Amino acid sequence: MSGGALAGIKVVDFGQMVSAPFCAKLFSDYGADVIKVELPEGDAARRTGPFPDDVPHAEKSGLYFINNTNKRGVTCDVTNEAGRALFLGLLEWADVLIENNLPGKMREWGLDYEQISQVNKDLVVISITPFGQTGPYSGWNAYDLNAYHLSGASSRYCGRPGEMPLEHGTFAADYFGAVSGAAWGMAAVYGRKLAGGGQLVDVSCAEAIAATFVGGQNIGGYAQDGRFDKRTGIGMPLGAPATIMPCKDGHVWMLALEVGQWQGLKKVMGNPEWADMELFDDMLTRAQNADIIYPFIEEWTLQHGKMEIMEKCQAAGCPISAVFTVAEAAQQAHLAARDFFVDMEHPELGRVRNMGAPFKLPASPGGPKTPAPLLGQHNQEVYAEILGLAAVQIDQLRREGAIGEVAGNG
Amino acid sequence: MAKALPLKGIRVVNFGWVWAGPVTGQTLAFLGAEVLKVESQARVDMTRNLPPYAEGEPGFNRSLSNHACWAGNGSVSLNLKEPEGRQLALDLIATADVVIENFGPGVMENMGFGYAELCKVKKDVVLCSMPGAGLYGPMKNVRTYGLSLTSITGLDSLVGYKGGTPVPVENAYSDPFVGIFSAFAILAALNHRDNSGQGQHVDFSQQEAIMQMIGPDYMDYELNGRVAGPKGNEHPVAAAAPHGVFPCAGDDRWISIAVPSETEWQSLQVAMGKPCWADAPEFSTLVQRVENIDALHRRLAEWTAASDDFQLAEELQAHGVAAAPVLNIADLLDNPHYRERGTYVEVTHPLGFSETIYGAYVKTSRTEADVKPGPWLGQDNERVFKDILGMDAERYASLVDAKVIY
Repeated sequence: MSGGALAGIKVVDFGQMVSAPFCAKLFSDYGADVIKVELPEGDAARRTGPFPDDVPHAEKSGLYFINNTNKRGVTCDVTNEAGRALFLGLLEWADVLIENNLPGKMREWGLDYEQISQVNKDLVVISITPFGQTGPYSGWNAYDLNAYHLSGASSRYCGRPGEMPLEHGTFAADYFGAVSGAAWGMAAVYGRKLAGGGQLVDVSCAEAIAATFVGGQNIGGYAQDGRFDKRTGIGMPLGAPATIMPCKDGHVWMLALEVGQWQGLKKVMGNPEWADMELFDDMLTRAQNADIIYPFIEEWTLQHGKMEIMEKCQAAGCPISAVFTVAEAAQQAHLAARDFFVDMEHPELGRVRNMGAPFKLPASPGGPKTPAPLLGQHNQEVYAEILGLAAVQIDQLRREGAIGEVAGNG
Repeated sequence: MAKALPLKGIRVVNFGWVWAGPVTGQTLAFLGAEVLKVESQARVDMTRNLPPYAEGEPGFNRSLSNHACWAGNGSVSLNLKEPEGRQLALDLIATADVVIENFGPGVMENMGFGYAELCKVKKDVVLCSMPGAGLYGPMKNVRTYGLSLTSITGLDSLVGYKGGTPVPVENAYSDPFVGIFSAFAILAALNHRDNSGQGQHVDFSQQEAIMQMIGPDYMDYELNGRVAGPKGNEHPVAAAAPHGVFPCAGDDRWISIAVPSETEWQSLQVAMGKPCWADAPEFSTLVQRVENIDALHRRLAEWTAASDDFQLAEELQAHGVAAAPVLNIADLLDNPHYRERGTYVEVTHPLGFSETIYGAYVKTSRTEADVKPGPWLGQDNERVFKDILGMDAERYASLVDAKVIY
C-alpha cells in the first residue's frame, strides 16, 4: 500500500458501521497503513448487510465490504485487561485513531482520550459520534437518524409541510461526520509538529450539519430578525420551475430560472402557446403561479423520457437533469469513461464491482485495491509485525482472551 | 495549548465561488491556512447579494448567509478580465501552496490559469478543481445547481416518503459536503507534495464524492440487483425497527427514535409502560419488527403524539433508548447542546455590525480554530499587494483607479 498520497501514515480504525469506517477508508484508499480493529463479534456492519440473497453472513455484508477496503483486520477484546493492553500497543505505534463509539462506551473500556493520550502524546484521535464528546447530549444514546434530525436540516429542507421531516434515505449524518473528521483529522496529522503534538478531533455529526449546511444559510438571519422558514416540499419556493417532476419513465430535476434557461426549456417543449403568457415572464411570477405552470410543464414531461429531457435541455442551456436511480447511477457511461468503478475479488463475495476513489490524485492515485479483511484475517501478521510478538506470545494472548479467538485457530 | 494551528504557513488562493469552493477555503482557514479568495466587483458572486442583510441594509458586504458560509476566507479583489489583473493573480499564486476552483471544466484554462500555466509560476502547486462531474468524461459539461447535482448520483432517488415519489431536498446538502471533503483531498495532495516534492492537479468530481453516500444501496444493487427507492426515515439497510420520526404535542413537533438492538427494544417497552401490543408475536424479533414496521410505527406514533418532544427524549434516554427532538431553525440557536459546544458565535464585522455565524464545526483539543467574520470584498488588498507582492503605493493607487484592483 505504499506510494499513495498518505503513504507512511499509520492508522487504527476502531469503528463500526459507517462514520468511522468510511473516514478510515479515506485514509486507507489513499495509501495510509490502516489496521481495522474489531471486537471478537466483529463490526456491527457485518451483521447488517445488505447480504447476497438477504442471507446473513459475517463475511458477506455489502456495507462492511464497501467501507473497509485496503485495510488489514485484527480482532481484539478490549473488555479484558490483556486485550486492552494489546490495543494500547497498537495506539503506541499509530499516528491516528479513528473511532465512533459512544463517549460512555470508550470510558467504560478505559479508552477515553485522557487515558489513551497517556500512551502516545502524538496520537491524533478522530472521534466521530452523533452528538460529540461534550455538551448535555454527549451522554445520550444515538445513531445517524437522531443526529440528522437534531441538525435542523429536515425541518427546514426536507419533506412536505405538515408531514414528517425526512432524512436522505442513507446515513447522511454519518457520511457528513466522516468527511469532517477526515479533513480536520488529516490537518491535525499534517501539522502535528506545528501544533506541538497529537490531539482530540471531536466530531459531532449533528453539529457539523447544523453549522455548515443549516446554520450557514439560516442562523444569521434568525439571530438578527427572529424569522425562520420551514420545508415546503418544493425544490425552490421562490423561483419556478425548480422542483422534481414526474416524466414518462421516472423523474427529472426541472430547473429553468434565468431568462436563457427558460427560453431553452420553451424551445425544447416546442414553444407551446401557454408559455408565452405574461404571468410566466420571470422566475418569480412563475413561482407565484406555480399551481398553473407546473401542470402545464408536467403534461409535457409525462410524454418524454428522463434521459431525452436531460439531453435536449442541457443542449439548450438549461440545467435540467434526470433523477438517476441507483442502477442508472451505477451504469452511467460517464463514470465508466472515468474508470470510477473497480472490480474486486473477495474471498467470500467473489467478484464485486466497487465504487472507486472519490477524487482523483493523478500523481499519487488512490482508490480501493484490496478487499475488506475477513474477521481477524491479519491477527498473526499484524501482531507480529507491528508489536514484534513471537508466535508463542500471540498464542498466549489468545489463551488469555485478548484476541478473542480460540487458540490455534488463527 | 498549541504552538500554532496545524496549517499555519500554508497559503491558499481560492477562485471558488457560490458555496462549495468557499467552504473548502473556510475549512482550511479554520485550521490555520491563509486563504485568499479572488473575486471582483466586476462580477459580484451571487451569494453576496442573498438576503437577509446585516441590519436590513442591502449591499454585497452585508449578506448574512454569505458571511457565515464564507467566513475564514480572506478577500482580494481583482478584475480578471484585465490582463494586469490576471498577471497579479499569477504573481500571488507564485507565493501560494494551493489553488482552489469550482468552475466548469476549461474555465481556468481560458483565463490563463490552467494547471500547466500555474506550474510555470509555482512548480509544486496543488490545484484542486471541483467541477460537478469531474474534469473529463462524456458528461463533464453537465449543468446543474448545487441542489440538483445529487440527482445524477442516485441520492435524490432515495429521498421521500416510503413508497412515494422523490421529494426534493430544498438546498444543496452536497455543497458543504464536497467543500469539506475536498479540503481532505487537498491535505492528501499536500502530504504527497511533502513526501515527494511533487504537486498535482486534483480532479475532484462532486458527483463521485457525493456518490459515496449511496454506498449501502449501491451494494444492494450490485449484490442483489435491487433498486432502492424513497424509504421515509427507515433504516438505510433495514437493520433497525422502530426507526423513524414520530409526532409530538404542538405544531410541527417531532421526535426521532432508532431501535437497532433487542436490548434497546426491551428498554423502549419499559419506557412505554409495557403495552400489550408491543408484546405481540409480530414484534418479537428484529426481523419481524422490520417486516411489520408500518404497524409498529403507527402504534408508536399514537404513543408519542401527546408528549412534549424534549421531555419525551429525556425520558427515553433515561431508559437507554436512542431518541432526540427534531429541531427547527428557531430551536438551534438556544439549544443547550449547541450553546455549550459554541456551535454558533456572534462576531463583530469590520464594517461595524454584529453577525451570528458558525464557528469551528469540529472541536480540536490542542488548537483553537481561527474564527473570523465574513470577508468584505477586497479586505486583504493592501496587505496582499503591498506586503506580499511588494507593490509600491503609487502603482497600487493607479491599479485601483484603473479598476484592475476592483
